[in-house]
Amino acid sequence: MSKLPQIYAENIHRWLPELLWFALTTLKIALVSFALAVLVGLAFALLRTSRIVLLRGLATAYIETARGLPIVVLLYIVYFVPPQLFPGINWQWFTDFTGAVLGLGLHGGAILAEVFRSGIEALHKGQREAAVSLGMTPAQSMTYIILPQATRIVLPPVANYAIGLLKDTSLCSLIGVNEIMNDAKSIAFADYQPMAVFVLVAVIYFVMSYPLSLIVRVLERRLAVSR
Amino acid sequence: MTFWQYLEAKGPYLLTTLLGGWPQTAIVAIGSLLFALIFGLAVALVRLSAWRPLRWPAIAYIEFFRGTPALVQLFVIYFGLPDIGLSPTPLQAAIVGLGMNGAAYLAEIYRAGIESIHRGQMEAALALGLTPGKAMQHIVLPQAVRTMLPPITSFAIVLLKDTSIVFSVGVVEIMALARNLVTETLHSAAVYLIAGLLYLCMTIPMSRLAARLERQRQAWQ
Repeated sequence: MSKLPQIYAENIHRWLPELLWFALTTLKIALVSFALAVLVGLAFALLRTSRIVLLRGLATAYIETARGLPIVVLLYIVYFVPPQLFPGINWQWFTDFTGAVLGLGLHGGAILAEVFRSGIEALHKGQREAAVSLGMTPAQSMTYIILPQATRIVLPPVANYAIGLLKDTSLCSLIGVNEIMNDAKSIAFADYQPMAVFVLVAVIYFVMSYPLSLIVRVLERRLAVSR
Repeated sequence: MTFWQYLEAKGPYLLTTLLGGWPQTAIVAIGSLLFALIFGLAVALVRLSAWRPLRWPAIAYIEFFRGTPALVQLFVIYFGLPDIGLSPTPLQAAIVGLGMNGAAYLAEIYRAGIESIHRGQMEAALALGLTPGKAMQHIVLPQAVRTMLPPITSFAIVLLKDTSIVFSVGVVEIMALARNLVTETLHSAAVYLIAGLLYLCMTIPMSRLAARLERQRQAWQ
């Protein structure tokens, strides 16, 4: 342990730039799959609250399945299963990056669908009815009445999900995506310094995620609705 | 051979092989849950201590372990510790890694539970002559358990799902066997779908239980 500072002093000028470069890939995966998760989540939240039983059932089945599967298993299923089920299609475009983003996005979509649904359901029906009776169109009542109030409820859990997602991108290394974790493995075993390299990676993840969790805390305090 | 024909022919073989990894998955899940339950309580009590220098390391522990991926923590323990002369087996590394990670989350669940009990309870217990330790043990914690049970169940589900990453440090559980089977049969679709079903059979009943506990808790309050 006492040697760690010395190891860092000798190697950090090589390790840090390389790891930070691959941290960009990590951020890219996180951003794209976050966007996908928001879209999927919104779609399934609407289906889940739909009046048609069949749609509701399908949405519930999807949400329960995607939330019940470990992310690693979901990543393996999304990345490896479709090419084997449909061998006739050209799968050239389906890179490990695409697989990672799809897997994380589908998993996040199920989580966010529940978040959005609870946000919508937390608002009393009277809010929309009052807006409509005041002469607002449904779109206006959504924009000026429902969404501003729902955002308050939904924002902290969405931000919490984003922090979790950032850490979950590390699992993409297991299907072979070249992000920071995969690069760390190759450095660690090439230089025979697993302790030093993985601790450094932990610090890099912490530096990326901790500011986010501070923001969440501020959000939670600011947006707390006094009831 | 189509996917369905393959599944019909080889499905039972794949299923029984994957089930062979279930005991290891269960051992890692239960072992790290126990580790996290005990160690997390210790961290929570230190975190709530009245003495600031004691609180600080607990906060640092919680923030750091919640701020970094469990996979990195596993790698530090399994691949890193041999650098300083400790060589954990894969199973030990998995239980300690997921356990230390979980302790950070459980510490916050414990803290929220303890803080949800009105201060008057502790003050009354102290006024009656109980020591702070006894008051915590006999008055505060038994009441806090009600509030803590639903989030602890949810945590156990997350932990069970997280065991699917420990194949990366060499534990031969369900996912490890699934990967071996894919190398053997080259049929990733059937193997990973069956593995997924195995996990769903464990997690969906647990999340039903968590939802029921949560409803009961809300009924109490």
